[in-house]
Amino acid sequence: MAAGKRGNVYVVVGMAGAGKTSFLERVATYLERSGKPPYIINLDPAAMRLPYDANIDIRDTVDYKSVMSEYCLGPNGAILTSANLFATRFDKVVSICDLRAQDYEYFFIDTPGQIEIFTWSASGIMITDMLSAHFRTTILFILDTPQCQNPQIFMSNMLQAVSVLYRSRLAVILVFNKIDVASHAPLVKLLSDMSLFQSELEGVSDFSSTLTQSLHLILQEFYEHLKIVGVSAATGSGVEEVISVLEDVGAG
Amino acid sequence: MNVFLSLRSTTNHGTVLSPRRAFAPTFSMPYAQLVVGPAGSGKSTYCHNVHQHCASLGRTLSVINLDPAADEFRYPVTADVRELISLEDVMEEEELGPNGALMFCMEYLEDNMDDWLAEQLEGYMEDDMVIFDCPGQLELYSHHSAFKSMTEKMTGWGWKMVCVYILDAQFISDGTKFIAGCLQAQSAMLHLALPHVNILSKVDMLQDKSVLEPYLCPDHQRLANELDERMDPKYRKLNHAIASVMEDFALISFAPLDISDEESLQFVLYQCDCAIGYGEDADVRTSRDVEYGDEPDMSNLSLE
Repeated sequence: MAAGKRGNVYVVVGMAGAGKTSFLERVATYLERSGKPPYIINLDPAAMRLPYDANIDIRDTVDYKSVMSEYCLGPNGAILTSANLFATRFDKVVSICDLRAQDYEYFFIDTPGQIEIFTWSASGIMITDMLSAHFRTTILFILDTPQCQNPQIFMSNMLQAVSVLYRSRLAVILVFNKIDVASHAPLVKLLSDMSLFQSELEGVSDFSSTLTQSLHLILQEFYEHLKIVGVSAATGSGVEEVISVLEDVGAG
Repeated sequence: MNVFLSLRSTTNHGTVLSPRRAFAPTFSMPYAQLVVGPAGSGKSTYCHNVHQHCASLGRTLSVINLDPAADEFRYPVTADVRELISLEDVMEEEELGPNGALMFCMEYLEDNMDDWLAEQLEGYMEDDMVIFDCPGQLELYSHHSAFKSMTEKMTGWGWKMVCVYILDAQFISDGTKFIAGCLQAQSAMLHLALPHVNILSKVDMLQDKSVLEPYLCPDHQRLANELDERMDPKYRKLNHAIASVMEDFALISFAPLDISDEESLQFVLYQCDCAIGYGEDADVRTSRDVEYGDEPDMSNLSLE
């Protein structure tokens, strides 16, 4: 890590419905209770209500509904445009965070529901680049564990995560959410066990075994450099582990 | 014979097939392109341009809109999912956010495939081509079941389908971003299990078109080296694993699309046609048809 970077920023990304916001709520409550309240920035202009108190909220700056009518955009285009508008002022956010870095140990960024608004847009790149230039930035990739029980979806998710790794060039932590519904342990085992992975995929995909083998090679390498943690935003189990992983990463 | 059987089986499921189609003398079936990609990558523009291009060639092609949030079209819409369900209504009635509403719409479409979709697709004959303009939510193509069951269903009805994955060329500025795009496209490919054509759109918007050149037919060793340079050294093995998968399975090849250049459009269309075997026996139709036998010369393609 380059010297002079202070503050740990965690960018929470994940598929719509993976539970980014509820995860953040759970982590925030836990941190508050342990006397280290986090600094939270919400980047989702279309969020109806936030269960946590956001310190900076994109909705205070950009009104997504009026963007929709002003620029004659559909809902999707309006979210994208709001994010772009906000990105132009993001240097202010960075300087605020900079000032706050002595008081706060954890900075979290909540992103829009659809992952591609953040990972496949010019504004998303700008924001992660700006953040990583100033702070120690880590991506928390939230996964919907019950959904991942389908091996093909699990595969898709993992490819997404690798894609995010390359796109942002930041460290990625995989957070398996909703482990109260389905356990993440078998999935982690899949990552390290080739033959298991292959037999799981064989039943459901049309792809040749050599392809799944090679894809597994990618995942295996990915797994080597990966921190994985399971959590349930609903029940709160696993939050301690999340925090200790975050601390690990933060320590450097 | 298989196709005939599958036609029969859809009849058993209650779909009313037009007599014309059910008793069609040949079993060569219609073709479809599923145009997918992230929001703002240029899917509708692609549909518009392909439609125009084909019209000028005298080739029939219909465009069906599957995006419940779309508002206006530059191409004539043959069928529109908004006749079935509109995003605004769902947002209001179900009190859902934009994304939740879209998922609701897609699930609704999935449930109504046998009625609405089958009805819209009725009457298409062999050598007809339909293009589906799809919503821009990537998870629909890598996670959600709606499109998967739609493609399965249509393949069962005898359609030959190709997935056209469109990515904005402006986001492919270096090796790491290129790989990110490839992996993204690949997850759609694995999920939908269709023949796949990857397109880099908006090439005309690039100031320096030469930046794309290394990625059109990538040299994998070079790509891995570039990744090594840009990534943390601990990812070295991962870089090479990815590059070698890309090489072994030829999973990545992107066709550049410059919307202002007819030739590049024709090349892209040719790629799609090849992927599903369109036009294999089209030479007898009209003299105005393009010659699909020869591969266009790639060397002078739009990247100058």
